[in-house]
This record gives sequence, structure tokens and C-alpha cells, in this order.
Amino acid sequence: MSVYLYAILGAQPASCGNGVCAEPLRLVVSGDLVAVVGDLPDTPELTAMTLRAQDGVLRRLAAAVDAVLPARFGTLLADDAAVTEALARRRGPLAQALGRVAGCEQMTVRVWGDGAATAPTAESATGGGPGTRYLAQRRQAQEQAQRVPELEPLRRRLGELVRAERVERHDRPPLLATVQHLVPRGAGGRYVAVVDDARDALRPWRVSVTGPWLPYAFGEDAA
Amino acid sequence: MKTPARAAAREILDSADDSLLDLVDNLLNKGVVVSGEVLLGLAGIDLIYLRLTALLCAADRVGRAREEK
Repeated sequence: MSVYLYAILGAQPASCGNGVCAEPLRLVVSGDLVAVVGDLPDTPELTAMTLRAQDGVLRRLAAAVDAVLPARFGTLLADDAAVTEALARRRGPLAQALGRVAGCEQMTVRVWGDGAATAPTAESATGGGPGTRYLAQRRQAQEQAQRVPELEPLRRRLGELVRAERVERHDRPPLLATVQHLVPRGAGGRYVAVVDDARDALRPWRVSVTGPWLPYAFGEDAA
Repeated sequence: MKTPARAAAREILDSADDSLLDLVDNLLNKGVVVSGEVLLGLAGIDLIYLRLTALLCAADRVGRAREEK
């Protein structure tokens, strides 16, 4: 038997119910970090059903506690000691991520467009030697990968509804970027309404929105 | 290695259901990694990553067709 990790919580739920394979869930507590685990011989088989089931388990947990950090699907550890050790190793970042997602859920916006994405602004570094210029260019490329200027009109409208943002740019048009927004729980409907209002202002870019999701994308600093 | 996993991955991808694609992205690409051994047991993962973007694009086209009706 191994220990299959579902999530890390900031508090103990009154009850956890069952896992993906109907196994009873239990808690492994390490300081103020609480891991929700099930005892399984192996990783659950990867199917549409098990993915939905795992999301369902996590949603039930989220209904019971404020802060849920979902684990990556397929996280199987040897035993409770391995879980405790994994938590201890990342105590600081995990606690920080739990604070970030507390009382929040995730909305996903995808930006679509034909042709190339917005051209990077060529803001050439003139001063310094070749080394300085190279570093400036690299920094600029990195910053560019983190930006979605196409969404500016939407960001202005969303304002403080968005607590945190994660961005992935894609190099395969028509999908240009996927943006994850952390919003207060229950604000999903308002978020969708704001996105719908912004559609005209966002042209020529199109956006699609899904959610609310558990804050899957907002634990990565803890990895 | 479990051979049915690859068939299962294909089944997930072939369904091209929007909410399922986001689930795949969230559960397999995001989520906290606390252990170096994650996913070692899962065959078919590469296939999923390869086709995820393509399928999301397909989902967008279907969505647009629906909007235009």
C-alpha cells in the first residue's frame, strides 16, 4: 500500500469522505499543514472518470475548508513519513501558497486571435557593452513571456476582483495565451459578466472563459 | 507500465469536451508537486501534452460556430 496525496489544506476538515477509488480518506498533519491522503496500491488509472472523480474529491474538501492546494494528479508517496517529510521540506512556500488561495477560486481566460501575437516592443538597450545588451534582451524576453497586453482592457475592468494572475503564452495560433485569475469564492458569475462586457473592447482578440476551478494554478511557487 | 493508460489517455483526448480539457490541464499540468516521483507511473502523459493545445483550438472553433448560429 502506498499513500496517494490529494491536497494540502490549511485546516482540518470535520470529515473527508472517500477518494477516487472509494478508499476512505484520512489526514496526515505536520505542524499547521494538513495533507489529505488515501491508501492505494498504485496511482489511479488516468481516465476521464478518475480525473473528474479527483476534482470532485477536491471540491468536496474545498466546501469544508477555506484553503485548498490541490496536488498534481498521480502524486503517490511511499508512506506517511514521506508525506510529512515532503511537507516539512516546503513548509514556508506551502504556507504562503495556502494564504494566497484562502477563500479564493480560479477562473481561466484564453486569448484567441488569428496570425501572430502582439509583437514585442523593440526597446533596444543602447548603453553598455554586448554583455549588458544580451542580459537586457534576455530579461525583456522573459518579461514578454509573462505579459498578455491583449487583456489590458479586461484587467482594467476586473480591477480588484483579481487577487493574483498566472500567465502562459502559447506559440500556436489561434491560441495565444492562457491566463489564470484568482478571484474570491463566489465571484465567478460576476467575473464572467465582466468578461462578457469587455468583449468589444478586446477586439480583435477573442476570449473564452471557464471556471470556477479550484486554485490549481496558484500553488506552483510551492513546488 | 500499465498499457491501458495510453488507451485511456487517447479516450480523454478524443472526447474533446471543454471542461474535461481544463481538468486535464489543471490536474496534470498544474497543482502542487511535492514529490519528485510524481507521474512516473502514468503512461500517455506526453501524448496528452502534445495534443492539449490542438484540442483547445478545436474547442474554440466549435464554440465560435455555436456563437455564430
